[in-house]
Amino acid sequence: MKTKTFGIITLIGIFLAGCATETVNIDVVHDEGKAVMALDYRDFAQAASEMIQSMIGSGRLKKSGGGRYVMTTARVTNDTMQRIDTDQLMAKIEEELMNSEQVVMTSAVGGKGAPDEMIYEMRDIRDSATGDEFNQETLAGKRTIIAPELSIAGKIFQRNIRYDSNRQQVEYYFQLMITDLTTGLRFWQKESIIGKRGSNKSVAW
Amino acid sequence: MKTITNILLLVLAFTLTACDQQPAQIHVREEIRSDDLASNIVTRPVAHAFSALIGERIEIDNAVTMRNDTGFLELHINGHNRSYNTKRFRYRIEWLDANGLMIQTKTSTWLPTSAMGKSSFSLKAVAPRVEAVDFRMDTKKWE
Repeated sequence: MKTKTFGIITLIGIFLAGCATETVNIDVVHDEGKAVMALDYRDFAQAASEMIQSMIGSGRLKKSGGGRYVMTTARVTNDTMQRIDTDQLMAKIEEELMNSEQVVMTSAVGGKGAPDEMIYEMRDIRDSATGDEFNQETLAGKRTIIAPELSIAGKIFQRNIRYDSNRQQVEYYFQLMITDLTTGLRFWQKESIIGKRGSNKSVAW
Repeated sequence: MKTITNILLLVLAFTLTACDQQPAQIHVREEIRSDDLASNIVTRPVAHAFSALIGERIEIDNAVTMRNDTGFLELHINGHNRSYNTKRFRYRIEWLDANGLMIQTKTSTWLPTSAMGKSSFSLKAVAPRVEAVDFRMDTKKWE
């Protein structure tokens, strides 16, 4: 009897182990996974690719007289129902713009504050007593930070629409614009839409 | 025999007349445009079934690359959907440098597109690096 019980417990154990969902790494280049109602990395990759190609293809980032524009990322608002770090979009765009050799990004100013606070921390050190510990020639002087010429701003927002009794439609709008900070004139603008239709039971936030 | 020949000639004339009615730039779809002898309520299901049977799908007519004013390589692809149904697919373009090596870029991702039945379509892509001199493109079904 004891052996029989042990055998049954072992079988149940094996059965349950077989049912456990296996964790796998995603192939982020050729992902064959199903679409989801919320925004996933593929949506950000798609939106970023469309934005980058539009910016570069427009020819507006070619600086007359040569050289590169200095650009900052201003505020990119997340107006969706999801917790999104908009850097998921902007990091890709910034990377490609810099690699295109048309733009250099500044870490000194940005919509969320300076992307790299160390710029100002080093200046605070320079102006403090601790600054005497540093070789003065290696400390940044005053009026050395280059001001940005262009700013990129935008927002991501979402609309949920009841499609029929069983399905909902979720529309995600990615809107970006580039502004000349000297004149305030808008250089470039684009909207990219990603739409999803699925079960009402799926939660898009 | 003469009567049959006359009927055939009449049918051919009707068909040719119907084909000549649409300017090449304008595509008026089936069930919107007037029926003709080649496409009507009787022949349409047969044509659709035959198209599906022989597996008509997407075909690429040409791919043209050119440098834009800012020195970036632009790719323009023209193709057409031979089938009667809308074909949705994804494409991914990789840019190659002068040595034939792939340039790593965030724009090389699977992008969705579609072509309506019996319609032409165009795709445009811009290489985000001036080093790009060539490309390769892959496609897959839009799951």
